[in-house]
Amino acid sequence: MSGGELRLGAVSYHPRVVTIWERFRTYFADAGVPTDYVLFSNYERLVDAVLEGTVDIGWNTNTAYVVLDHRAGGGTRILGMRDVDRDWATVLVMRKGQSLEKPAELEGRVLALGSRDSGHAAILPLHYLAEQGLDAQERCRLVRFDTDLGKHGDTGDSELHVVRAVAAGEADAGAISDAYFSAFRAEGVPEVADLEVVWRSPPYYHCNFTVLDSLDPEVSERWSRALLAMDFEDPSLRPAMELEAVRRWYPGDRDGYASLTAAMREQAMLT
Amino acid sequence: MTAGREQEVGHRVDAEQLEFGGGLEVLLAASLERVAPGGVLEVRTPSRAVALEAPGWARVAGHELIGEATEGKAHILQIRRGTSARTLAGPLPERGEPPALRGGELHTGDWRGGRPPPDPDPGAGFAPLHAVPEAGAPSYHWRLSRRDAVWADDVGELVEQASAQQWDASRDVPWEAARGLDATTERAVAQVMTFLAQNEYAALYVPARFLGQMNPQLVELVLWLGSHVHDEARHIEVFTKRSLVGGEHGYALASTELSLHTLLDEHDFTASSLLLNVLGEGTFLDLLRFIELHAPDAATAAAARLAHRDERRHVHFGISNIHRATRLDPDLTPSLVAAAEARAAKLVSLSGLSPLLVEALTIMAAPSLGPAELAEAAAHVRDLMARMERNRIRRLRACGFDAATARHLSDLHTPNLM
Repeated sequence: MSGGELRLGAVSYHPRVVTIWERFRTYFADAGVPTDYVLFSNYERLVDAVLEGTVDIGWNTNTAYVVLDHRAGGGTRILGMRDVDRDWATVLVMRKGQSLEKPAELEGRVLALGSRDSGHAAILPLHYLAEQGLDAQERCRLVRFDTDLGKHGDTGDSELHVVRAVAAGEADAGAISDAYFSAFRAEGVPEVADLEVVWRSPPYYHCNFTVLDSLDPEVSERWSRALLAMDFEDPSLRPAMELEAVRRWYPGDRDGYASLTAAMREQAMLT
Repeated sequence: MTAGREQEVGHRVDAEQLEFGGGLEVLLAASLERVAPGGVLEVRTPSRAVALEAPGWARVAGHELIGEATEGKAHILQIRRGTSARTLAGPLPERGEPPALRGGELHTGDWRGGRPPPDPDPGAGFAPLHAVPEAGAPSYHWRLSRRDAVWADDVGELVEQASAQQWDASRDVPWEAARGLDATTERAVAQVMTFLAQNEYAALYVPARFLGQMNPQLVELVLWLGSHVHDEARHIEVFTKRSLVGGEHGYALASTELSLHTLLDEHDFTASSLLLNVLGEGTFLDLLRFIELHAPDAATAAAARLAHRDERRHVHFGISNIHRATRLDPDLTPSLVAAAEARAAKLVSLSGLSPLLVEALTIMAAPSLGPAELAEAAAHVRDLMARMERNRIRRLRACGFDAATARHLSDLHTPNLM
């Protein structure tokens, strides 16, 4: 904290991040918990900044949260998450008519994955496929689209590549988040019309606001209360909330990150 | 997700073969409208792919998939409707009585079912008539927002006429007929046409300025001013074309410019109705009729006739607008008189219509420069001046001014005619 003002770190995965946080900054000031924001170009720097105390709150992807929590020795708290961050899922998509009964049938075939630092489009798919009896790294030919590394899949760019590769027949199946698949449908991405979901992962959590345990709990609770009080029906807030893809904020918990933590251990990403 | 079906279902729908991306979203959105926020919609689909995609769709759309089960080969999905309103506005009103048709025609005068509200929100946006505006839109600040300051009861019908009486300045004028006049006559016509076009610029700029200040909730006035501007654009076009078609040139007179400059100085809507619509365009009605009758060629006559038809509407609006405004607010009359006096004070240097114009009108009306014919044409021009004054007073009386005030206002009117 600096002069009673909290510092929040976010990653500038899109210019809209400025629009969002300019509005939220005013909101938190009005709510009595002044909060300035600091933008980072990648989540690795953001995690460093939280650990170093340069910022108090990290607006983290699930991957960034797991790394931060690991590096902090479990000494973190989650202050909140979006409605859409709960029950996030990864889906496998294929061209229509290419359906499969279970993921193990992908053995020997081509699987497209998103950025290697994306929890939903690369790390968790490999983990869940292994749970389903398919060691995809060994038994499939992987086509990876490592675009926008450092953004942990926030931009959706690598997932667009995945969808296009599957639609073009360059991959038999592709792993992407259910949220991005729905968003591509809503945006009318033409390649999506030829695809269908053939498998869906168990649910997990996505982004959250994380602080170190060292932050005064009274302060972080006040901040959480202000966050959860944000009203989507408030015309002055709705545009920023729509840009952030949130209708309602929820308190977070650690339970939804167990699968990703396991996955990152398996893939030697937590050192 | 649970396999439970214990939730109370508000509505059920069978999606049959519909898929995401192929219309299923539309069916789901419409079906969810039939359950209350927080209520449950049950969807039956034979498609496993749809069942697998449904949770993501629901979450992103602000709903929640709370249950999934199978019945034979069918998937039964339970979706809890989100509590967020899709739009920041109340529910749409119940379907109401539609506007009346006249012999199959839907007239602008009939679409609202009465007058607009007296004081629409001056910050209102471009919400079309009877649309429900969503909150959160940017706000405007319309200077012309009070109905009774700008309204005319027959504005809807005038808009109707404006649409019905459109014409084409390139095709509806027999331009060939303007070729071949002798140089003197052609130069006189070019001078008169230049004068008309110069004045029509002001007749365009005045309503154009008010158009940008008009609250869109007074939509009939927006349409009306739009038509007025469009009419004047065509008048500029047709009179400029007539001035050019014979190869001659005319002067854009400084005295005319001074008069028009003072017209643009007036920022009050009703005062402008008086100065432009009633006095200026009203006086032009007589001038245009004179030109139509005495034109040396069919093209000039056609241009004057077509413009006259439009100007009648503009004058009609002015009279109607002022009559209503002064009836509702008798204190308005002194301020309208003051506006006319203020303008006249700026025009003290003008002592009459420019001799150049009087000569051009006379030559235009004379078959030749022979003395007898010139004398007859000069008499016609004198008659025109007298008729202009008589009709100006008649129009002012129609506005509701008493005889003395009408005479006074007419006397104050610019010698430039507009």
